[in-house]
Amino acid sequence: MKLHKLNVILHRDVGYLAFALTIVYGISGLAVNHRADWNPSITQTKTTMAIAPVTETERDAIVKDALAKLGLTATPRNVFRPDPATLRIFYENLTYSVDLPTGKVVIDRTTPRPVLKEFNDLHLNAPKGVWTWIADVYALSLILLAITGLFVLKGKNGLTGRGAWLTTIGVLLPSAYWIYHLYLE
Amino acid sequence: MTRLVAASLALALALTVGLSAQAKKYGKPLTLKDSTKVSEIYASPDKYKGKKVLVEGPIVDVCAEAGCWLAIGSDKEFQTIRFKVDDGVIVFPMSAKGLNAKVEGVLEVAMLSEAEQIAAGNEMAKEKKMPFDPKTVKGPKLSIQIKGEAAEVK
Repeated sequence: MKLHKLNVILHRDVGYLAFALTIVYGISGLAVNHRADWNPSITQTKTTMAIAPVTETERDAIVKDALAKLGLTATPRNVFRPDPATLRIFYENLTYSVDLPTGKVVIDRTTPRPVLKEFNDLHLNAPKGVWTWIADVYALSLILLAITGLFVLKGKNGLTGRGAWLTTIGVLLPSAYWIYHLYLE
Repeated sequence: MTRLVAASLALALALTVGLSAQAKKYGKPLTLKDSTKVSEIYASPDKYKGKKVLVEGPIVDVCAEAGCWLAIGSDKEFQTIRFKVDDGVIVFPMSAKGLNAKVEGVLEVAMLSEAEQIAAGNEMAKEKKMPFDPKTVKGPKLSIQIKGEAAEVK
């Protein structure tokens, strides 16, 4: 088999295999790039409510009284007092912060963003373990795609023609930015 | 075919239940057997400074932005210790809040200047979308945290 034909087949088939993960990593890349402005994996909502002040002084009694006043019957995962005036009650993806003297309650609910959370977890290698290897193979396949992609076309649109200009621009863009970032920004 | 589907579902359910009962491991395996109470660390930080410690407690807060730290509740009320990991090396999910954790790492003790506290407070306020008043910062403050390497959450 000719080298060029092998290169095209390799580029095509690895491209098919990498399609799904490229979409996942691309979408997640956009999402996590802007995580200073938003949380790409979860939505957090804060609501408030008011209950009667909790006047008990013993820890267990405070918890029992607060749960009763909140109308919560399910056993919480945990409870914690960060300071003498506050009680935090934890459920799965739900935290109640009770200001004991005033009875003001802040309910903090976190909800995973469907699909996007899974994309981000895969992209950021949250699962670790076997996924690390899969992600490594994927990264290597991207390198392979980039290299084989250079040699798919021949002639004026190939690497000796238009391709050379576009590839040079692709190399210059990050290089120029990095020089700007180091010395001028 | 129906039996196969039912058996597969039962197996998946059993695995899910089994896995959910196990501690979820993050980072390197824990190496220390004996844990140190958070209150002990606060009582004598210099004794543990620079040493590897294992701490157990409820997860009372999680870094919302990058999952890069946990706040672990102390055995003593009104006290927490931060378990910090390098960004991206370990990513703690927000859903871990309220679960119990065993965390292991090296204890870092530093005296934070007012400017450092204000910078940290502003960053935390931005992350939590809550107000922060720099006037609440009064003088240098001792900062104690565990630089993390390993954690188990259950």
